[in-house]
Amino acid sequence: MFSSFRQAMAWLHTWFGLVLGFVLMAAFFFGALSVFDREIDRWTVPTTRIAPQPMPSFEQVLRPAFERMHPTPAAIDAMRPRVDGAMPQHFDTVVNWSAYTTHRDPVLELYAGYEVPNAKDPEEAIWAYGTIDPRNGKALSDDQLKIGSGFFYPMHYSLTLDWKNLGIWIVGFSALMMLAALVSGVIMHRKLFREFFTFRPGKARLRSVLDLHNLTGVVALPFHFFFAFTGLVIFASTYYFPVGQTQLHGLHELHEQVEAQETGLPHDRAGVPAGLASVDAMVAEAQRRWAADGKAGDVGFLMMQHVGDANGYVSVYRAGTDRIALVGDGIHFKASTGELIRVDPPATPTGRVSEFLTGLHLQHFRHWLLRWFYMLGGLAGAVCIATGFVFFVEKRKRQHAQRGSQGARIVDALAVTTVTGMLLATLGILVANRLLPENLPARGDWERYAFWCIWALALLHAAWRSAPVAQGRANPAWREQCIAIATLALAAVVLNGITTGDYVWRTIATGYWPVAGIDLFLLCSAAVACLTARALKRRASAAQSRIADMGMARV
Amino acid sequence: MSEAALATCLLLAAWLASVAGMGWLAGSMPVHAQQVWGRTPSSAMARLLRWLGAASIVAALALCLGADHASMAVLVWVMASTGAALLVAFTLAWRPRWLRVLAPWV
Repeated sequence: MFSSFRQAMAWLHTWFGLVLGFVLMAAFFFGALSVFDREIDRWTVPTTRIAPQPMPSFEQVLRPAFERMHPTPAAIDAMRPRVDGAMPQHFDTVVNWSAYTTHRDPVLELYAGYEVPNAKDPEEAIWAYGTIDPRNGKALSDDQLKIGSGFFYPMHYSLTLDWKNLGIWIVGFSALMMLAALVSGVIMHRKLFREFFTFRPGKARLRSVLDLHNLTGVVALPFHFFFAFTGLVIFASTYYFPVGQTQLHGLHELHEQVEAQETGLPHDRAGVPAGLASVDAMVAEAQRRWAADGKAGDVGFLMMQHVGDANGYVSVYRAGTDRIALVGDGIHFKASTGELIRVDPPATPTGRVSEFLTGLHLQHFRHWLLRWFYMLGGLAGAVCIATGFVFFVEKRKRQHAQRGSQGARIVDALAVTTVTGMLLATLGILVANRLLPENLPARGDWERYAFWCIWALALLHAAWRSAPVAQGRANPAWREQCIAIATLALAAVVLNGITTGDYVWRTIATGYWPVAGIDLFLLCSAAVACLTARALKRRASAAQSRIADMGMARV
Repeated sequence: MSEAALATCLLLAAWLASVAGMGWLAGSMPVHAQQVWGRTPSSAMARLLRWLGAASIVAALALCLGADHASMAVLVWVMASTGAALLVAFTLAWRPRWLRVLAPWV
């Protein structure tokens, strides 16, 4: 079929790149946004615009907050089919309480799991979630959509297609094929080193597009490779090869019990009620031990297992802000007495590699420069895919126009939707977030609808304006959507100022960078979109006059 | 100097070393040398630039290691090189003469 290996690679790169490029574009773009997910949360939930807080006192703040928690009626309804007989309305036996925070979180997330007496799977718990202000323990409304960590981040790894985890599988398959695309891309590239720094914007259209595609692909190759790979590693054992939950289920249970024996952390409740010693004292002891180990730091995750039982224990994990590897250095105490049960031993070499790889992708570290570099890598990937689309269309549209084929036209319309349309949808959800009334029921759902509606409108617009592509010319939708992007980005900044009083000059003056940074980024995006629209207009009128000249010459 | 300020200075230096390193490497390539100086430097000069470039990128790694934990420093270094390569490529595309600053003796 192919006369050379390189040709076969080119076929693979072209077609898999085209089909999966649409998915990868979303993964790259929303991944880049997820680097700053907590900051986007601050922008979209103005009541949480406060400075990050450390883990608060358990006795004074956390315990009362945990005791107030209860599963929502919706969670109880969802559990009903997995219970034999009547569904209990109260859940008194707490399986575990846990609290999680990072160095970028001003609010604290709480989780509580309760035993369900008649559950078909006795191991299954029912969960309650809460968000509190760590300064005073006040519960914050939990139904406001955290657009950064609750929408853009799931978009990155699952496209929010939750049915049977379909989205996670689609993104995973695309990441796997992306690794193949990277290898085939390197093989196709004849002058990887000689053209390492090459970008010739003035050259013929096809050449300059290919230059940019190669440049953004090659210089960020380590980033592209490691992020596709570590993304797969993160989900491998939970979703892609869940042998522990399927074929090895019996062994898995047994392993849990053996592990409990080895670690001394009880697997089951004793059935004997017991009190709770001072958790703050346990936390202080854990911090003292970390400091003695040369790893002083804050608590990231605090968990209590078998609450109120003689077998109960408290686990304190460190927030890993000073290194890449995602380690907790967990220290465990007996809940009723506060006596030390266990200090997690250092990981095996394999474990350390895995911690480094997952930590590299999940980025819990405190390093703003590296965060911005990740953003740069993600956007370079997005540019690489976008130029791939443009190259595909530019290479074929004249031939397709001569043959009367609609292929290039369809791909171009889809490319407009995935590149500029996705930006419009993203800006649209931010604008909707500022425009919708504060106490609208199910506000988060309306925000999501706004996102998908705007994206659908962008698709319709791109398709409606695509006729010129079938004649070998450019689709004006590119330029028009650039203008819309600039408008929406400006609108988001202005609306943020009007609705919250946090005008961009004020947030800069007070140094509240989560919000100021996003506003500044939006303003820069608006400027880039304007410049792009202007360049596209200049190019369109140049093409117009060329066609007119040709017409004159023919006359 | 406080620890944070020292780390910031080291990272800034690492970034400058990456940009200079990538700039020197580009300058050692005939096509780009033509863009920067309008002529191709002698082969000895090209070799010097290539060595300077490589040394500067290694120096950037050392500076990153001075600022952060090793696992973090490696990533900062790789991404700084990526950013520097992009910056040099775009400078070559629009303002190639600016890179003369890196080797005023050529």
